[in-house]
Amino acid sequence: MAETTAPQPTLPPARQVSRPVSEALLNEKWDHCLSNLLIKSSLGLGFGVVFSVLLFKRRAWPAFVGVGFGAGRAYEECNSSLKDAAKEIRKHA
Amino acid sequence: MLRTSLQSVRALGSRPVTAAAGRQWQAAVVRRAAVSGQRYYADDKKPAANGPPKIVLPASETLTAPSTPTPALGAAQTVADSTISPENAPLAPSAPGTPVAPLNAPAASTATPPPPPPPTSLPPRPRKKGFFRRLRNYFLTLALLSALGFGGGVWYSRVNDNFHDFFTEYVPYGEQAVLYMEEMDFRKRFPNVANRVTGRQRDSGEQVNIPAQSGASWRVADGADISGRQSSGISKKVAAIKDAVLPEKAVPVVIEAKKETAVLPKTEAKPVVKEPEKPVAAPAPAVADAPAAVAAPVVDVTKPPKTKPFKVPEVDEPSRWPPASPIDPLAIKDANEPVVQDLVRMLNDIITVVNHDGASEKYAGAIWKAKNELDKVGSKIRDIKAGIEKNAAKEVKARVDDFDKAANELVSRIESAMSAQETQWRHEFESEMLRIKASYDDKVKLIQERERQIAEEKLNNRLLEQAVELQRQFAQGIKQHVEQERDGRLGKLEDLSTAVAELDRLTTGWNDVVDTNLRTQQLHVAVDAVRASLEDATHPRPFIKELVALKEIASDDPVVDAAIASINPSAYQRGISTPAELVDRFRRVATEVRKASLLPEDAGVASHASSYVLSKLLFKKQGLAAGDDVESILTRTHTFLEEGDLDNAAREMNGLGGWAKTLSRDWLGEVRKVLEVQQALEVCFTSSLFAGYLVTFCSFC
Repeated sequence: MAETTAPQPTLPPARQVSRPVSEALLNEKWDHCLSNLLIKSSLGLGFGVVFSVLLFKRRAWPAFVGVGFGAGRAYEECNSSLKDAAKEIRKHA
Repeated sequence: MLRTSLQSVRALGSRPVTAAAGRQWQAAVVRRAAVSGQRYYADDKKPAANGPPKIVLPASETLTAPSTPTPALGAAQTVADSTISPENAPLAPSAPGTPVAPLNAPAASTATPPPPPPPTSLPPRPRKKGFFRRLRNYFLTLALLSALGFGGGVWYSRVNDNFHDFFTEYVPYGEQAVLYMEEMDFRKRFPNVANRVTGRQRDSGEQVNIPAQSGASWRVADGADISGRQSSGISKKVAAIKDAVLPEKAVPVVIEAKKETAVLPKTEAKPVVKEPEKPVAAPAPAVADAPAAVAAPVVDVTKPPKTKPFKVPEVDEPSRWPPASPIDPLAIKDANEPVVQDLVRMLNDIITVVNHDGASEKYAGAIWKAKNELDKVGSKIRDIKAGIEKNAAKEVKARVDDFDKAANELVSRIESAMSAQETQWRHEFESEMLRIKASYDDKVKLIQERERQIAEEKLNNRLLEQAVELQRQFAQGIKQHVEQERDGRLGKLEDLSTAVAELDRLTTGWNDVVDTNLRTQQLHVAVDAVRASLEDATHPRPFIKELVALKEIASDDPVVDAAIASINPSAYQRGISTPAELVDRFRRVATEVRKASLLPEDAGVASHASSYVLSKLLFKKQGLAAGDDVESILTRTHTFLEEGDLDNAAREMNGLGGWAKTLSRDWLGEVRKVLEVQQALEVCFTSSLFAGYLVTFCSFC
């Protein structure tokens, strides 16, 4: 019994890391999308702030525009990834 | 002046003739008349040149007017004047500047007029035209010079023979021109003959024949002969009188011919010799006839005939004839005697020599004698020949008789020898025949004996074969009998042994049954162990050991092997999840699936978000809900799971599609593994049970 138990804990974690369980596929995608949104919008915000400071006399709209660009970029990426996944599913089905 | 005019006449006369053929001679004559008219005009011009008014007048009529009084020379000239006047007319006006021109050029009038115009026209004309003019002048002068040179050449060629040769050979058309000039000259000289001659010349160009009598003849005697025949009696008479050499001359010729012919056919027979003799005889009389015929009338006139008669009767004729005629018979008689032939030839030679010398008178007697002698010799030789022939005939007869006798003897002897030999051969043949017969008889006997022996042996062999066959049959019969009897007893023994063997088999079968029973029991136990290990576990764990044991027990049961092989390797390596776990996991999966239940086909972020939000508002179903939507399927699966019906639950979940199926994929895989293992175990269990039943059943039946 001892032998059988020994290899068991080692194998599953490896599996877990490499591939997520099927029910978590969608959630993972959502996580990716949100993080992406965060990063991109913050990046856009940063650029917008810098531009507003450097070029636009500390106006607010460049910052908003940057956020919008980032968020839009993230949205689009997420959308495309989800659609690709849907296409793959259809192909397999 | 006259000469120049003559020359001009020549020159002008040549022109029309070139144009006209021989037939148009008359026209040429007319032209010449015209030329003569010109000459007259030239003469007349001299005085005219002195008078300047002539030059001033341009019209031609004015020229005729002064010329009219002059033609007092002849009526023909007046006719010519009318024709010539137009010719001369251009000369006068063309050279108005120079009065000398007409004087100088009555003969070569055409060439002179061009030069005068250039000096007048040159100054006004431009330079370009001047060049052309110069060119034209150059060519004109060239033509003029060449014409003059040609004309001069033609003239000089008639003067100098060397130049004539040179000119005709190297100058083109020179020969024709010169020839033509010569011809014209000839015509001029002989106007009457010219026409005829020219016509004849043309014809005779091909017809030229040398007359037969002209030139030297190859024949010497022919000429003399002809003269002899043609000449009249008087002229011949003189010739005959001159001397007798004439006939003699002829004779030698004849004799020479004879000699030639006689020498050639030396080897031939007499007839050939005779042939040349005849021609000799023919001309000889001919020659002799002429003098004879002449002599006949002249005999009484003068001495010369003396020689002829003297010849005919006395010496020559007999002396000549006899040698020819006596030779013939001699030759014919003794044609086969070469000696006589030689002699005859010799004699002939001597005769010819004598005749040659003309001393036939002197030697006639001697030759006659010699001929007689020759005749005699010939007759003697003939006699001798005849005598010899007679003797030879006699001898031959005697010899023939001897030969006959000898032949008869020989024949008789040969016949006797042959008969003796024949009898001897017959004896030998008979004895040989007897011997051969005996030998063949022996051979036949031997062969017969052999054949008989062979036949006997064959019969013996056949007998032996029959005996052997009979023995074999007998043995077989005995064997059969024995076998039949033995089979009757041994058959029973074999039945017994088979019965015993079956009994043994039965006992061993029972052992097998027991063994298989044991094995199935073990299998059963093993399957139970596996099942227990699966059910016991609170969490999945591998059951490889149990499976290995099961496989060992089942040994080589195909059904068990196939069942074990159908299990996914990951199932027994990692174990399978328990039903409780499956239910727990289903709940999680169901929530996720529910979130994605409202997604359209090509879902983006917005549709996902809306599906997530709206799925929360859906009503939850209970029990075995009807419908193909995701919610009802999930509800049914849930109920089946609660009932513990994994199979149906898996079937329901398998009916999902799209995102829902993707999300529930892993759970379905888990369920399938569990189901596979359960099925495999069931198969093993049933197979073990069946094996056990089969063994027991078989053992009973």
